[in-house]
Amino acid sequence: MKKVTVQEQGLGEKVVRHATAIGVAMKESVYPLTATVFYPRERKKMPDNLRGYLMFDPDKCISCWECAFVCPANAIQMKAAPNERYYPTVDYGKCIFCHFCVDSCSGGALKTTKIHDVAYKDMDEMLTLTEEMIEEPEIIREDKKSVEYVIDEHDLHLKRVREVDTLFVEVTPPVEIPMVSQCIDRASCIGCRVCEEVCESGAISSSIERGVLRMKIDTDKCTGCGLCVKECSMQILRLVKK
Amino acid sequence: MIDINTVITGLGIAGNQVSIPLVQQMLDLLPEIPMVKLIISFILWKPFFAALICPGFTTLGILLLFFPWIERKLCGRIQWRVGPHEIVWWLGGIIQLLADSLRFLFQEVIVHKDAHRPYFLQFPFLTFIPALLPLMFIPAGNIVAIETPYAIQIILAIICLFPLFILGLGWASNSRFAFIGTVREAFMYFAYEVPFIIAVLAMIVLYGTSDPVGIANKQTIWGIILNPIAALTFFIAAAMATSRMPFEIPEADQELAAGPHVEYSGIAFGLIYVLCYEKAYVLAGLMAILFLGGGSGPAIAGLGDLSGVIWFLLKVVIVLTTLFALRTIYPRYRLDQGLSIGWGALLSLSLIALALSIVLVQGGVI
Repeated sequence: MKKVTVQEQGLGEKVVRHATAIGVAMKESVYPLTATVFYPRERKKMPDNLRGYLMFDPDKCISCWECAFVCPANAIQMKAAPNERYYPTVDYGKCIFCHFCVDSCSGGALKTTKIHDVAYKDMDEMLTLTEEMIEEPEIIREDKKSVEYVIDEHDLHLKRVREVDTLFVEVTPPVEIPMVSQCIDRASCIGCRVCEEVCESGAISSSIERGVLRMKIDTDKCTGCGLCVKECSMQILRLVKK
Repeated sequence: MIDINTVITGLGIAGNQVSIPLVQQMLDLLPEIPMVKLIISFILWKPFFAALICPGFTTLGILLLFFPWIERKLCGRIQWRVGPHEIVWWLGGIIQLLADSLRFLFQEVIVHKDAHRPYFLQFPFLTFIPALLPLMFIPAGNIVAIETPYAIQIILAIICLFPLFILGLGWASNSRFAFIGTVREAFMYFAYEVPFIIAVLAMIVLYGTSDPVGIANKQTIWGIILNPIAALTFFIAAAMATSRMPFEIPEADQELAAGPHVEYSGIAFGLIYVLCYEKAYVLAGLMAILFLGGGSGPAIAGLGDLSGVIWFLLKVVIVLTTLFALRTIYPRYRLDQGLSIGWGALLSLSLIALALSIVLVQGGVI
């Protein structure tokens, strides 16, 4: 059994430690390192990749449902839009701000902002619909300065700049690697046609030639979302580079 | 028609006035207005001045109003915080205590069913007796309310009464937190009282007198340099007596929710809240007299007797600030650690201080 014992210290060492503590207190009382940010009057400068409030760009969305699948808190639900596509809605009552949705978004439609102070009147309001995510939310700005924490070798300093920090970040879109779905083992296809039903862009079509079902993937229409790959019951579809 | 001067001489307040050369000319003009000379002479009569202005009520009131703020602000600075800020934020929240006291004043005083109602309501006010009485014997410079050769002993005796009133508070509260806090207070009382008295005794032995004015006059070298061990003992005992942070054992906010004060609310709590500051003020005054030369210091031109008052207050403020800054440096000790410090290290230190004083006196240093 391991027993925890108090470290024995000599009288001299104790006196030195007391003196050090008192010295630090005296130093701090003269030159304090006040770490407080007076929030409504000034704002802390947030990094560009802060996991904050989500914004959505429907033009880039390919309706692949990846955000809804990956969401660990089940906060994202897909709702049907008038143009027969599915767009995400975020329930901020459930969202844990892990931003797996932003990371997994293949089209770069979901993007983060530096907004971290959002208030709602009730729980129903926390379900943010797609339309509300497209427009920039209304923010009342009282801040005149922005504060930055600067950490050098020894200490932390607060750098106050008389400028208002912009809360919306322009994210450079990820480099798209064009992918297409491809069947790697046609002989194993059982012809369930799940891939055809699940395809949003209508790239997969089927035809019966002489009593045999033949599936065809149109590489021009395929967006490479990987839905068919996920749904294929025989697991014979793969995503390959175009 | 009564002659004012006859009244003043008749009352015996003529010869014992606080002299301030700077405003003396203005005071000499005042007899033109009837009654004003009587009032002014009465205010400037040394015993009355001591009781009413310094080191009495007015100074205590101002200190109580601003010292909790200074303490919170200082602790905030040391701990990288800001302290009170939002009330008059461009002055750093300086009237925080005024706002707090207004809140206390208008809050309901709740007396719960199990409390001993008369004692519960009496003790917050009764506790002011041991808090205020020592001020009568503490001199600021040469201004003192009651002059007696046994002043230090009387101050000690009254300070030692203090914990009894806190025990009374806790007993009347009739709550488990208050009980535990009260018992802890009693334990700590015994732990610090003996070394505290011996440390003061060491200084009385050193100076050969217990008259505070005489002690202050005798300190050509400050007591803190002559007998630093006694000063250290006195300081630690003062921290224990006022239950400041390293020895905040009776009040332990996190465990006992303010200990003996837990059941109080409203103005009663406000009175208890300032008690420890009052006690700290008295102890700091005693420390200034015993170890820091009282009101001695270079005379400030034009202020006369007030010069000593200012030096005394400056020393008191320095002692108080050091006492209050302790809470940022040390965490709280456990009860057993506090007791072992009191009965072990502190008692030995005080005995060594007493021995040192005797050696100094025998050696003819003072």
